[in-house]
Amino acid sequence: MIDVEDLTFSYGKDKQALHGLTFSVNDGEIFGFLGPNGSGKSTTQKILTGIIKGHNGIVRLFEKSILELRTQAFFQKIGVLFEFPYLYTNLSALDNLHYFASFYPKEQRRDAEELLDELEFKKDFLKKPVSSYSKGMRQRVSMARALISNPRLLFLDEPTSGLDPAGAVLFRKIIEKERKKGTTVFLTTHNMLDADLLCDRVAFLSNGKIVALDTPENLKEKNSDHRIVIDYLYQGGRSRKTIEAHEIKAGIPFAYDEIISIHSQEPTLEDMFIQYTGRGLT
Amino acid sequence: MWNGFAELLKKDLKLMISSKFFLLAFGSLILYSCYINFVYVKLDQEIYPVYLYDPQNTKPAVSEYITRVESREALETACADQYSVGIDLSAEQPELYLLSSGLETTDHYRMLWGEAVLDEKVDGQAEVVGCNNKEMKNRREITAEFLFFELSAVGFLGLASMLFKEKQMGVIRVHGILPVHRSMFVFSKLILLLVSDLLFTALLTGINLGVPDAVRVLPSVLLQAGILSLIMALVGFLCAVRLPDFKQFSLFYLVLAVFITTPVFLAGQTGIEWDWIIYHPMYHLFTAMKSAYFSIPAVDAPYYLLCLGAIILLFLLACQTLNREMAKEG
Repeated sequence: MIDVEDLTFSYGKDKQALHGLTFSVNDGEIFGFLGPNGSGKSTTQKILTGIIKGHNGIVRLFEKSILELRTQAFFQKIGVLFEFPYLYTNLSALDNLHYFASFYPKEQRRDAEELLDELEFKKDFLKKPVSSYSKGMRQRVSMARALISNPRLLFLDEPTSGLDPAGAVLFRKIIEKERKKGTTVFLTTHNMLDADLLCDRVAFLSNGKIVALDTPENLKEKNSDHRIVIDYLYQGGRSRKTIEAHEIKAGIPFAYDEIISIHSQEPTLEDMFIQYTGRGLT
Repeated sequence: MWNGFAELLKKDLKLMISSKFFLLAFGSLILYSCYINFVYVKLDQEIYPVYLYDPQNTKPAVSEYITRVESREALETACADQYSVGIDLSAEQPELYLLSSGLETTDHYRMLWGEAVLDEKVDGQAEVVGCNNKEMKNRREITAEFLFFELSAVGFLGLASMLFKEKQMGVIRVHGILPVHRSMFVFSKLILLLVSDLLFTALLTGINLGVPDAVRVLPSVLLQAGILSLIMALVGFLCAVRLPDFKQFSLFYLVLAVFITTPVFLAGQTGIEWDWIIYHPMYHLFTAMKSAYFSIPAVDAPYYLLCLGAIILLFLLACQTLNREMAKEG
C-alpha cells in the first residue's frame, strides 16, 4: 500500500527534516509511526497525503508514485484525521459531515448519522453548532469526517487525543473494525498504549531517522532481560525476588509459604523508545 | 469537479451570509444613496466673490459679479478669507490681489475668474464635456467615488474577515486533502464576491443615476467594477492568509486606507497635484471608474492587459499562499 525509499525532505537549506526514511506498509495493516515532537512524523504524513511537495527519494502509494497521484482519484481513496479537530464551528456536526462528504462520489459515502451513532455522539447535539461541543465531541466528528468517504487508506494523527478513557477504547475498537474491513491505517502518535494495542508494526522516529521498525512484541521481546519478579510470604514476612525466566521451569526455586504475585519484567514500548532514541515521547 | 465547486460555492455563500457580508453591503447601499440624494446633489461651490477698488472710476460699468470697495484696506479685508479675488485699479495696470488658498490650481482658477469678470468675458468660453446638468454631473461623480471606496475598502475587508474565520477554524487545511482542486477554493470565493460586487454596482448606479442613464453606462461601469473587485478580493485573500492574526490585518488595512486609497482620492478630487500619482496603480483604476460613469473612453488596451496580468499574477500567488497555509502545523 505504501512504499517509501530513502525519503529526504528539507524546509529550506539548513533545515533537513527527514534523513533517508525507508519503510513499507502492507494492505490492511495498522502501521504506527512514533516519535517525539519535531521528529518528522507530521512532515512524513504530509508528504504521504500529498499536502507538501519537494521531497527526494521514492514514495509510492497504491503502487503509483506520489508525484502522479495528487489527483481527485487519489484523494477519494484516503481519509485523514488531523491532530486538531478542524471543523466549521458555525455549522452542526451533520452539516459539517454533509459538506465534507459532498466532495466524494455518492456510492462511496457513508451515512453521517449512522457513523456518528457508531462513534457514540450525543444525539441532542447533532444539529447544534460545533462551537458548543466539548473537545471529545469535536474529535468524534473529526473521526467521522475522516471515515465518511470509506477510505482505503486512513491517516490518523493522535486519534485518541482529547478523549476520556472510554472514548479512547471506543476509538481503538473503531480503528480495529476499519482494519477488519481491509482499510490500511497509518497511525501517527505519541500514545504508546494506542501503538501497543493497535499496531501490527511500529517505526520509531528520531531526528528524521527511523531508528527501529518491527512489531511491538518483537521490539519488547528482543530487549527483554527475561526476568520474573515474585512477591511472596515466608515465615510471617513479605519478600520479593527476581529470578531468570528459565529458573521457573522446575517450579519456584526458593522456599515460600504463599505467592502473592508473579510479574514478567518485559520492557514497555516506551522503555524501548527511550532505549532506541535516547529520549522520551514529549 | 464541478460538483465539488458547487459545494464550495454553497459553503462560501453560507459563510458570507453568517458573516453579515450582505447586510453590510446593503447598509452601505442605503447610506451612500441617502447621502447622494439628500445631501450631495444639493451641494454647490459658491462662486469666487470679486471685489474692485477703483478710486478713479475707470470702470464705471462692471459685471454683476463685482462688488466695489472704497479703499485698499477694505479690499484687503474682503479678500482675507483666502477665497475672494481682489482687483486694484488705482494704478495704471490692474493689479489682482488674492491671498493664496494653498492650492496652486485653485489660485490659478481664482485669478482667471477675476480677469474674466473684469473683462466681462464670463459666457460661452467653457468647453462642453458630455451633456450632463449640474445635478447629473454630481451624481455620476459621487457614485463613482463611493463605488470605488466600497470595492477597494469595504469589499476587501468583507472577504478577508470571512477567510480569517476559516483560517482560525483550521478548515483550510482539510481542503488540502479533499478531492477538489485547491484553486477552486480561491475561485469560489472570487466568483461570489464578484457577483455580489457587480450586483451592488448595478443597484448603486440604478438608484443614483436613474434607470435610463444607468443602463447607458452600466456595461463599462460593470467592467471596471469587475476588474477592481477581482484585484481587491485577491489582495484581501493574500493578506488574510499571509498575516497571522486579525490585529495585524487591521493594521495593514489602515495602511492601505491611509497610504494607498487616500492619495488617489486627493489627487482625483482636489486641486492637489502630484506628478508621481500616475505611477500609482489605484489611481488608474479610479480614473477608469470615473471615466466609465461619464462615458469617456479614457482607457485603452495596455490598461486592460496590465489589469489582466495583475489578476492572473495575484491568483497564482493566492494559490501558492493557500498551499503553504494547508501545509502549516496546527
